[in-house]
Amino acid sequence: MLWIPAMVGWILLAMAAGCAAEHFRGKSRGTVIYFGMNAGSYWDVPTGSCYEVIDTAIRRFEEKHPGVRVEYTSGILKEDYPEWLAEQILLGKEPDVFMIPAGELDTLASLGVLKNLETLMDKDRGFESEAYYPAAWRYGNIRDTQYALPYESVPTLMFVNKTLLDKEGIDMPGEDWTWEDFLAICRSVTRDTDGDGVIDQFGCYDYGWKEAVNSNGAKLFEKDGTVSYFADSRVESAVRFVKELNGVNEGYAVTAREFDQGKVAFRPFAFSEYRTYKPYPWRIKKYSDFEWDCVKLPAGPDGMGQSGLDILLMGISSRSSQEKLAWEFIKELCYEEETQLHLLEASQGMPVLRSAVESPQLKQVLGNDIPGNGNMDVEVIRQVMEEAREAPNFRRYTSVMNRADSEISAIISGERSIDSGLLKLQREINSLLRQ
Amino acid sequence: MSREKIITNLQQAVYILNFAAVCLVAGSMSMGIFRIVDAMEAEMFLSLLKVRPWNPRTIIITSIAGYLCLVLLSCAGQLWEHRGRYMRVMITLGEMVLCIWTTVALNMNYNGLVLLVVADMVRGQKGSRQKLILGIAIVGLYTIVNYNLTGACFNMIPWESFLTAYSASTQAFLKGILSVFSSMNLVLFILYMTMLIQGEYRERERIQNLNEQLEEANRKLKEYAAEAERNAETRERNRLAREIHDTLGHALTGIVAGIDASLTMMDISPEATRQQLVKIGEVARQGMTDVRRSVSKLRPDALEKLDLEDALVKMLKDAGAASGADIRFHNQVKPLKFHEDEEEVVYRVVQEAATNAIRHGHADEIAITISKEEGRLTIEVHDNGIGCGQVEEGFGLKHMKERLSLLEGTLEYGGREGFYIIARIPIRWGEEH
Repeated sequence: MLWIPAMVGWILLAMAAGCAAEHFRGKSRGTVIYFGMNAGSYWDVPTGSCYEVIDTAIRRFEEKHPGVRVEYTSGILKEDYPEWLAEQILLGKEPDVFMIPAGELDTLASLGVLKNLETLMDKDRGFESEAYYPAAWRYGNIRDTQYALPYESVPTLMFVNKTLLDKEGIDMPGEDWTWEDFLAICRSVTRDTDGDGVIDQFGCYDYGWKEAVNSNGAKLFEKDGTVSYFADSRVESAVRFVKELNGVNEGYAVTAREFDQGKVAFRPFAFSEYRTYKPYPWRIKKYSDFEWDCVKLPAGPDGMGQSGLDILLMGISSRSSQEKLAWEFIKELCYEEETQLHLLEASQGMPVLRSAVESPQLKQVLGNDIPGNGNMDVEVIRQVMEEAREAPNFRRYTSVMNRADSEISAIISGERSIDSGLLKLQREINSLLRQ
Repeated sequence: MSREKIITNLQQAVYILNFAAVCLVAGSMSMGIFRIVDAMEAEMFLSLLKVRPWNPRTIIITSIAGYLCLVLLSCAGQLWEHRGRYMRVMITLGEMVLCIWTTVALNMNYNGLVLLVVADMVRGQKGSRQKLILGIAIVGLYTIVNYNLTGACFNMIPWESFLTAYSASTQAFLKGILSVFSSMNLVLFILYMTMLIQGEYRERERIQNLNEQLEEANRKLKEYAAEAERNAETRERNRLAREIHDTLGHALTGIVAGIDASLTMMDISPEATRQQLVKIGEVARQGMTDVRRSVSKLRPDALEKLDLEDALVKMLKDAGAASGADIRFHNQVKPLKFHEDEEEVVYRVVQEAATNAIRHGHADEIAITISKEEGRLTIEVHDNGIGCGQVEEGFGLKHMKERLSLLEGTLEYGGREGFYIIARIPIRWGEEH
């Protein structure tokens, strides 16, 4: 009978020896913080050096922490990044600090992949959440627990074709313009310019109900994703407005091609695209036939023209063995003004730190980019950032929104009535959320 | 094959079977993860889960190490079965913790380990209060490691999720094997328990048997005690007879011989006769005292008052005076002092020998020597009496022999002209010798 415990003892010894060997081999590599990011721009715009900001931040971090190295796997495309991250998680090799793929915060937090940052923040006396714009900060929060820090953001602006407006004798809209102004301009520019009987100049392209809902200050979901408010009057007026706006085109579906050709006056435009296409050389390559600029979105009757804010989050792995260093590194990326200012120069997004956006560099950067008169008002940017609204981050947001989108599209195209259609949608969505 | 051997084999089979099951589940989970990663379905897989699975290596190492530790502890529990209650409780607790640990590492997809622990617990339990604790522990343990009951609460990942990485036929195969393992484990467990219970039953039977034997022995002992009492009675009667013979017989012999002598002398010398009669009277009185003593089971009066040598001298002087024989006593052992029983035997042997010489041998010269030969006390009595060709063993000789045999002594006697008696007694010599 003694052969069993003897054999078991040997196997256990061998396993322990193997694990110890592995442990010491890992140790001999020194302290390494592993960072996960995707290549290219997170904002889907062409970019030259996607690693510049990160590399600089890493260099600074390594200087501050001698003996610590930061490594990352380069060349993972944005579309492959969620799968890559999931694989690393399954294999237990996920990075200590990593970019959180869009809309996956809740999933990763519920799976226990992300570290709860509350205790780290409490211990760090120098850390103030007020340093961030509220929308950016809220986006990293799930069920009143902070799981991620914002790194970069992109607000939505309104692209204005200045050449077209000039030609029509219309002034550039001011920062307090409303839906009515917007609709009036669209109505007046929508016409047949070459006289072939077909409308070939349009008011706007790609302005959807989501933009309208945001700029009317409406709220679609409770933060925890348990209830929806599609039947809210502000949502209803937003949908009604979009329907009216679409009616201006008399059923013609405007395409991106017409916009690129300069035949459209307005288009909601991501700040990242503004940053990409405004400066040389992209300015020449695209939209070369007309002058253009960006303004704030028009305000709805109940809103202030708030725009949606896309936010790139960074998180720490709950399994990270270098918790403190990981926290220092994530702060280097997300809380260090130098890094955030560097984003202004080398990336296409907007920093999330107030101090970075309010620094004189913003004006300088934007001013440098834009030769001539087309100069975006820095004050507007700050206002947009302050008022911006983040998308809800609960787990089923994407799937629920897809459902809502198709339903509201049907409402806008007139297949259903607005009030009863929205009420039905709200009920449907609520029951989906309860599941 | 003996029952113990069967139990040992069953246990080994259970260990091996569970090891195979643990390896199967842990292996299929780890391999499943690798296959999912290879198939680039990691994101999809994660989105279906409620909790992040452990990394594949951790699953394998943790579950197998946990199980092996459990086996070690189980073996230790058997080897140290008799090291006290504290040890047993600690081992059982350790087993429970390892069982839960391993089962959780397997995401509660195999709960056969409970049976292993339960078998160990049942084997170790004693007493009815422990039975209650045992019952609670078993139910608790089973509840904890049952996926359907608690797996959902603990956010365990069902095996089926991992199996999605395999083709349908492989899935069926793996499930089939695990279910075979589970059933075999159950069968072995039942067999094992049956053997254990059978063993307990036999043990009880054996104890009952022993009880019966004990009762029988008790009964016999009582009978024996009664018989011993009867024996003691008989012995006492014999002793009395012996005492009467020794004391009364001795005295009466002296008196008779003395009276005969008196009758002869009466006409020749009335003065001598008178002296003789006085001596006879003393012997008679001494005899009476001895009779009283023997009735009250006490030692000879002379021995009670004097030491052995003085008592012998007095007794022989009295005997010689009463019978008119010339008794010479020669003692070579100084001091003549032994244990009470030995002294009594020596006294009685000398007394009996002297009495015999006077009564049967009609001797008028008696020589008594006490010496030490080869570590034994030797009493030699020679007389010049008639002797005898064919000695007929009378009451006196027989009793002498009996008394001697109590001390493992021997008696030798004989003689045609004159009679001799040699008694040898292995004395427990004290320090003074």
